[in-house]
Order: sequence, then structure tokens, then C-alpha cells
Amino acid sequence: MKVYLDNNATTRIAQEVLDAMLPYLTERFGNPSSFHSFGSDLMEDIEAAREKVAVLLGAHAEEIVFTSGGTESDNMALISATAINPLKPGLVASTVEHPAVLETAEYIKSKGYPVGLSEVNGDGTLNMNSLERLISEQTGLVSIMMANNETGVIMPVEKVARIAHEAGALFHTDAVQAASKIPVDVRSSGIDLLSISAHKFHGPKGVGALFIRKGIDIPPFMLGGYQENGMRAGTYNTAGIVGLGVAAELATAHLSEENCGTELLLEKLENGILEKCPGAFIVGADVERLPNTATVLFRGVESEAVMTLLDLEGICVSSGSACSTVEESSSYVLAAMGIDPVDANTALRFSLSRYTTGREIDYVLEVLPPIVEKLRDISPYANR
Amino acid sequence: MWKYSKKLMDHFMNPRNSGQLLNPDCHSEVGSLQCGDAMTLDIQVDDEDRIGEIRFMTFGCAAAIASASALTEIAKGKTLEEALAISNDQIVEFLGGMPEEKYHCSVMGHEALSLAVEDFRHRRDSTAEYLEDILREKPDELTAAVGDGSISIEHIHPSRVGVRLSGVDESLVISILEKELQQRTGKTVKVRVTR
Repeated sequence: MKVYLDNNATTRIAQEVLDAMLPYLTERFGNPSSFHSFGSDLMEDIEAAREKVAVLLGAHAEEIVFTSGGTESDNMALISATAINPLKPGLVASTVEHPAVLETAEYIKSKGYPVGLSEVNGDGTLNMNSLERLISEQTGLVSIMMANNETGVIMPVEKVARIAHEAGALFHTDAVQAASKIPVDVRSSGIDLLSISAHKFHGPKGVGALFIRKGIDIPPFMLGGYQENGMRAGTYNTAGIVGLGVAAELATAHLSEENCGTELLLEKLENGILEKCPGAFIVGADVERLPNTATVLFRGVESEAVMTLLDLEGICVSSGSACSTVEESSSYVLAAMGIDPVDANTALRFSLSRYTTGREIDYVLEVLPPIVEKLRDISPYANR
Repeated sequence: MWKYSKKLMDHFMNPRNSGQLLNPDCHSEVGSLQCGDAMTLDIQVDDEDRIGEIRFMTFGCAAAIASASALTEIAKGKTLEEALAISNDQIVEFLGGMPEEKYHCSVMGHEALSLAVEDFRHRRDSTAEYLEDILREKPDELTAAVGDGSISIEHIHPSRVGVRLSGVDESLVISILEKELQQRTGKTVKVRVTR
């Protein structure tokens, strides 16, 4: 049995998405920017996709700019928004942002602009005192993710947006993990900029979008063409954009269903693990999290060893740490939460999707406990 | 997933000599700061300084567990001196190779072994010192038991010593020495007579 529980890394493409995309990879290969109708007719399909993405986010279609994915959207939001006003070039983000935000923040800092990273609390939630202390008159942009990719912990974006606005700053949120899993409404949340990526919700890889609230005039990030009203140069990724549109439409429909499913399956998984695996601890257990994500510390057993044995049984999960000389050895997110480094090396992330089944969770609960037990038996840290 | 050899996977999934010994002659604990791995070794050593029973515990990835298992297999039956010469290249070779990024996992075993040998020597030296103290201080009971006879130290091991006795009540002297050693070391040290 193959069980894929690494949906925060990427998801399977929905059949409806693939079916919608295929014509654009074959006979409808035209360039939407062309004069002739063979190409320009495709503009209608691009606009239809834009409308679907806008509906998912509670935005207007003209506020959506298509990009190559979450990383580009984050780069564009941070670099462009801090370039609007020379008197407000500063950025405030958090220590647990995705590297697409953290490394862009580092770049902005290297240009000599003030950058601050807010701390998080032990349960993974945002430390509001720390955030407020960092915001100053020079802050032009506050960027806080809607939900963390490792822990699934949901951040208080409405509150942060209000604080940012009070300081005269814009507010960006990296919603790459949150969009499609929890309802997003840019209007009521006061969000100015928001990043999404199609492949995190059963769309294709290599396409995403940046929401830019109407009235915000940020400079373009990609230069070299007049696509997207000059906001994002580059030939349209027609198939990808159409795929993103259908994926957004499916996600909207899924979110409106009464019982999303992953929440109950996640609960079953968490309870089963706590019951059957001694030493297990759910990170952020008591705070609001995405309904598909659980990071579990299997205290006493190293995560890569567990992952290797799970992989042999067909179960795919991930860990924030890597035992390797070429990579950073443990998760910076768990470290920022103050989790002991040895315990951080025992963390495994389970991330479900709407295609995850109860049978798959049963299988994991059958296979995982003996693996953990076997490794605990030879671990000097089992009773640490 | 890392590309691991069949042999490495076998040692990971069926580790040899894992666990702990009840009364080891020496013990070590090491941790790698680089990746957070940790390992313990328990060893029993015979009178010829050869490794008899050896057990390990490891907190680490597949390569770390397999390396520890391989180390114990290679070390078994070797003298402590020979075991100290086991290199991590030898462990890697024994396991049929491993990804270069994982070489650091095989280093921990050597470190654990060096510390265990150090522990063995330390325990042996302290046992020797205690025995020498006893013979020098000659508690009344021992003086009475030895009388005109003599005692000399022949062999020292952390948990057993060999003595040469002449002209004395052997079983009485042995029980006195064992009692004194127990009191001073806090452990059971067997006393045997060599002839």
C-alpha cells in the first residue's frame, strides 16, 4: 500500500485539473499575447482562471497577478513593497517564515534596510509583543505567514494586518499552505498582498499568484514584457494558469462542503499515535492548526530512521531535520519554538489531503507503532 | 531517500549486538554535535584483553545505526588495542559503502570505542590501586590471616584480580580481599588464585 502523507510538500494533481490543462499543452499552444486569434483567444481562458483564483481568496479578478509559484510571489511582494516608499524601506517578518520570505528578508537587510524577525511562542503561535516592538516608522511592510508549513499553526493575520496599518505599513501574508485548507477572505482580513502556489492544492507545479489589493501601486518584479499589465513580464504559462484556475475552483467547492474530511482523519491519526507510541508529542496540540497538518515528536527515536522504515512500507512523510553534512541539521521552526535540539531531531510531519482515506490512516497506525518501538528499544534516549 | 547498500540496510533493520550489558567491564557514551546522534557501548573483556560481549545503543539515522552494528561485529574477538585501530573507512567498507554525506555517522563508533577502552583502563587502574592499598595497609584481619605467608598481585582486570598466595589459608584470604574490594570499589570484584 502506498500512503502519501507529505501534502505540505506537494500534492497530486486533480484529474479535473489535468483534463483542463491538456489541450493547452497540445493543440491550444498559442501565445495569449499574440495578435492573431489562435493566440489571443486564449486570453479569455486566462481571465476565467483569474476569476476562479479571485473567488477562492475573496478578491477581485484584477487584483490577481499570475507568477511562477509561491517563491516568486513572496520575493515579489517583499522586494516590491519595500521599494514603494524610500522613507519606509523596512520589513518585519517572523522567525518561522518559509525560506522564500526569510532569504528575501536577508537580501533586503543586505541592502542596508531595517529588517526585524518577530519571535514565536513555545506553541508556535506568533509572539505579538515581539512583533509590535519591531514595527517602527520605517516599516513599510509586515509579512506574516497565514499558517506555518511545518507545524500547521495558524497565525492571527487580521490582527497583524491591523497593527501594520496603524503603523502605516502594508501587510503581506504567505498563504501557500493555508489557501484551500482554511477559508481566506482578503477583504475582511485587511490583507494587502497574499501569495499562493497551485501545486499545494492539487494544481500543477510552476504556477502561483500574488494578490495585490486594488490601489496599491507596487513596482514590477520581473521585467521584459507587458503581460499582467506590466506587473509580471514573461510569456503566459497558459496550461499552468488554467490548471491553477481549476484547482482554485475545486478548492472553493471543497471548502464550502460541511465536513472537509481531513480534520477527522487528522484527529484519528493524532489520537492513534498518542495512544500507541510512547513518547509521542503533538507540536502545537492546543492551538489552532491547519486541518491537515500534524508535526509529532517521537521522543527517543531519530526522525530519519523512522522515515526510512516507513518509506520501505510505502508511507511517505517528512521531517524538518536532515542528518547530513550538506544540510542544516535540524528544523529552524522547531528551534525558534524553543524545542530541545534532540527532541527536534525526532519530529515527523504528517500532512493529509482531501484524497487521504481512512484506510490509509489505519495502515499508518498499524505500521508506525512497531517501528517506533523497535527503534526505541535500541535508543539511549528512549527514557531521557 | 538515501541510496544505501543491501548490507547497510540489513544492519539497520537487523542490528547485531544491540542493547546493554548487565555488568559491563567498560561503558561509554558519545554524542555528535554535528547531527545530534548519540551512542552508548557496553563491553566485556576477557583476561587476554579480548572483547567478548559487546552491545550498543544508538539514537540516529539508518547509517548511524548500521555503523554501530558493523563496529560491534568487527570489534568482537579483537584485543582492545586491535579494536582501537578500527577506522571508519573499515566500517564503511564492511557495510558495502555509504553516501559521502553520511560518512560522519561512522566516526561516532570509533569515538565510542576509544572512550570505552579509556574507561576500561581507568577501571583497571583503580582496581589495582585499591588492591595495592589493601595489601599495603594490611587490615588486622588480613595480617592475622596471612601470618608468615605471602601475597602478590599477578593479574588485574576491572572486575577480577589474580593473586599468588603461599603459606596461607586461601579461602579465608580470598574472602577478606573480596570483602575489602567490595567496600572500596562499591562493586563485586572476584579474587582468584594463580599458581
